[in-house]
Amino acid sequence: MKPKPKTPPKKSTEERRKSLAQLLKNKGTEIYEDLEKGKFPSFSVPSRSVSNIVYDTKLRQYVLGSSVSLRSTRNMSQLRSFTQLMWLAFFANRLVNEKKSSTLRDIYYSSQAFAVDFEDQPESDNIIVDLEAVLTRPREDLHIFPEERSSVFGDLTIEYTVPGYEGKRSNLSDHPDGYLIGPSLSSCELVDTSAELVIAIEKGGLFTRFVEEKVDKKFKAIIVDTAGQAPRSTRYLLKRLHDEMGLPVVILTDGDVYGEHIAMVIKSGSANAAHLRELTVPDAKWLGVWASDIEKYKLPTIPMTESDIKRITDLQKDPRYQEGNWKKQLEIFLKLKRKAELEAFSKYGLTNITDKYLPEKLELAKSL
Amino acid sequence: MSSKGTFDQISPSEFFYRNRDLAGFSNPTRSLYTAVREFVENALDACDQQGILPDVHLSIKAVDPEKPDPKPYILSVKDNGPGIESKHVPLAFGTVLYGSKFGLKQARGMFGLGATMAILYGQITTNKPVFVKSSTDGKIQDEFELILDIQKNKPIVLKHETQDTSKTGLSISICLEGDYAKAGAKIRDYVYQTSLITPYATVTFDDPKGEKFRYTKIVRSMPPAPTIISPHPYGVDVETIKRMIGDSKFSIPTVDNNTIEKVKTELGLRKKDLNYTEIMERAKRRWSSLSRNIRVVIAVMSFLKMDFAKLSKIRIDDIDVSRKKLTYWDFGESKSFTIDMDPETDYYKQLTNTVQGETLVSFLTKRFQRVGRTTAEKFADFAGFKPEKRIGTMTNEELVKLSDSLQKFPTFLSPDPSCLAPLGAEPLEKGMKAFFNPDFISVIQRGASAYSGFPFVVEMGIAYGGDIPPGGTKVYRFANRIPLLYDEGSDVVLKVVEEIDWSRYKVKGDPPLVIVSHICSTRIPYKTVGKENVADRPEIERELRLALQFLSRKLASYMSKRGLAEMEKKRANLYLKYLPLVAQFCTELAGKQKEPDYKKMLKEAVSIEAET
Repeated sequence: MKPKPKTPPKKSTEERRKSLAQLLKNKGTEIYEDLEKGKFPSFSVPSRSVSNIVYDTKLRQYVLGSSVSLRSTRNMSQLRSFTQLMWLAFFANRLVNEKKSSTLRDIYYSSQAFAVDFEDQPESDNIIVDLEAVLTRPREDLHIFPEERSSVFGDLTIEYTVPGYEGKRSNLSDHPDGYLIGPSLSSCELVDTSAELVIAIEKGGLFTRFVEEKVDKKFKAIIVDTAGQAPRSTRYLLKRLHDEMGLPVVILTDGDVYGEHIAMVIKSGSANAAHLRELTVPDAKWLGVWASDIEKYKLPTIPMTESDIKRITDLQKDPRYQEGNWKKQLEIFLKLKRKAELEAFSKYGLTNITDKYLPEKLELAKSL
Repeated sequence: MSSKGTFDQISPSEFFYRNRDLAGFSNPTRSLYTAVREFVENALDACDQQGILPDVHLSIKAVDPEKPDPKPYILSVKDNGPGIESKHVPLAFGTVLYGSKFGLKQARGMFGLGATMAILYGQITTNKPVFVKSSTDGKIQDEFELILDIQKNKPIVLKHETQDTSKTGLSISICLEGDYAKAGAKIRDYVYQTSLITPYATVTFDDPKGEKFRYTKIVRSMPPAPTIISPHPYGVDVETIKRMIGDSKFSIPTVDNNTIEKVKTELGLRKKDLNYTEIMERAKRRWSSLSRNIRVVIAVMSFLKMDFAKLSKIRIDDIDVSRKKLTYWDFGESKSFTIDMDPETDYYKQLTNTVQGETLVSFLTKRFQRVGRTTAEKFADFAGFKPEKRIGTMTNEELVKLSDSLQKFPTFLSPDPSCLAPLGAEPLEKGMKAFFNPDFISVIQRGASAYSGFPFVVEMGIAYGGDIPPGGTKVYRFANRIPLLYDEGSDVVLKVVEEIDWSRYKVKGDPPLVIVSHICSTRIPYKTVGKENVADRPEIERELRLALQFLSRKLASYMSKRGLAEMEKKRANLYLKYLPLVAQFCTELAGKQKEPDYKKMLKEAVSIEAET
């Protein structure tokens, strides 16, 4: 079980950092020269309005269309947000150069030291997304992290790049609770692994069970807890494990429409991140729990709510759900009007899921 | 039908005493305020009428400052007006319904009733006399101390002295129960607003707490005084017509001794006693010099064929012109007689004229304003009367028809505005400037218009910014130079102001905006007895709206100029703040040491037209 991953040119963290620094310097130089020439500088910001978010079938993810809005200092009403964007680039440049990390909330407060005023955090969050779109780099590259954290466990050796830990190595199987996927894991270099597979799992409880049951050893797997909808840093790590280490990624979620979509976002991104290109694992496979598994494994179920059903009909309009298993499972869910959680396997014993279900599904996945 | 009750006639004083609520004297708060108004308005009216620039001094003092309200106050108002002749003073201030303001022209008060009511109220509540000082010649000042005999409606002079003085004017001082704690704000408002609409007057107010309010003259010219005029046909009802007819004809003459003496005097027969024939001959010779009522008596005598001695013993009961009969009562014989009148004689014509009154055409042209002969004849045709119809012969039904037709006839000229006294655009503007020191001001005086036969003129001013605090539009309402302070809710001016869509005139949020509205009319259509709000007559509403729209357009053009200037300033400030930041950030980003030279761009930035 070792699919040949399509490997785009492998970028180490250091390379990424350098190219980002160059990108920022280029932007800064552009604006510097504009001012020197007495020209009012501007940014082209890709439009993130709904009408400009399109599904790219080739990339197999949502991307922004060609619509671009100009944020110009010529326009008085844009002057403030231009300066905010400018400041953020300046501040991110410092973060990257000094290898410091910050949070969305930090950014909001940091701005006040520079006489750049944000009315509230949503305003600064929005400017961060603008900068992501301008640079087509996720905010994690700019050393700006959200509060949400997820975990990883397995035989993976990494080398830190964060200040004070430069060159220090760790193996992610050393701690049984797993490792937080935070700034240092997001910026580390991936050194070595004996694993042949990455299993992303929706729930922390199951993640712990998998560690206890030594799934990492039995299946030669790196286990990732997505803690619900996978945060960007987690998706970015999954992508790196796939692209840089050549590991196939499989996903286990609850047997409901939200679970199916968690898998889809890992595979092909979300509309919210349509301006970014490096957060998807197009080859990732959703192992389950499928709607069809509910009957097949006679899982205890709970009835769907109105909003569950509405979510199904909404997703049925999404271009990614128009064919294959994705489409089929939605239809079955809609027919059953019932759902099953991962924990449902416990009815047949706590290890039923790792002993029986997982091997069967992994076997099946080979043919997907 | 029998009743053991007695029917007493009550005097006007008694009536007002019993119904003082009607005149605004219902409680100590309201009474104090009403008394101030009445005296101040009388003082201003008196000066206006004589073309004197008014100096009015108001003072209110507590008799015992330690006492809690309500308590007795001494209210004094002093003016530099023409004063009142000594002989009229007791009657003017000691009699209800004795006044000089009965006539059709614009004035603040109608009949001068209020001042007497205030005196009456003061006397009722404190049992103190009123002090009046008056000088008409600027040399001698008469000083009176009066009280009212309420039941007899007569003044009682307690003291009358004269003193030397150097100024004309009237000063009046009463003691009354009031509540300044509650009425104070209202009175201060009243004084403030009165000064605003009377910029040619100096008004001062010393309040009981020792505060002094001084509003000195802003302009030194009086607005033109109004003239007294006849009523307009649209403005009369049946009752008014009846009263006008009564004024225009003579009633059946009473031939008492008094009348006979007058006839004798005019004929020059006070010492002589002539017989009937001699009397008639003498009358014929002197006919042209005789007054109208004497001619009527002579005419009657010609049919009675009586001398003075006989005439004094009868009473004329009826003169039936159409049936040519004259009926009289003979006291001597205690018997009624009816005689025929010869329609061919001049005497009969004389009687006809006086008893039946004028012709309709003559009535209309003489008694109404702006009605000419042609209009009067057209009207007669319209109403279905003969032009030579004697108005004295009209039945009640015909009078109602006449009154209705007067309302409906479409081609009467609009009422004569010469009886109005608007303030004028210039004094209004100067007054508003002095009061509000605004950034922008515009005023307008509309042409005269009329509702229901009453002429009116609307004056309006609008002021923006300056000393005016923000917080939305403040409307000052005036009617006949009186401030209308309360019951704002249902007023027509406020209705018109509220209907304005300010955003169309580039006015946003809670602007520092003042609107001064002044309606002048011989009759302001007040909604309530309290005279605080004007009813929404369509004609008045229309004039107010046109005035306000005119002013709002002026304001809009000012606002857009101001907006451009403000925008420019805002731009300059924004670029001054942000451009250095952009320069600082990009310098570090680009890895340079020296900041780019952006200073020249600051200038350019301001000149860029707003692009959004």
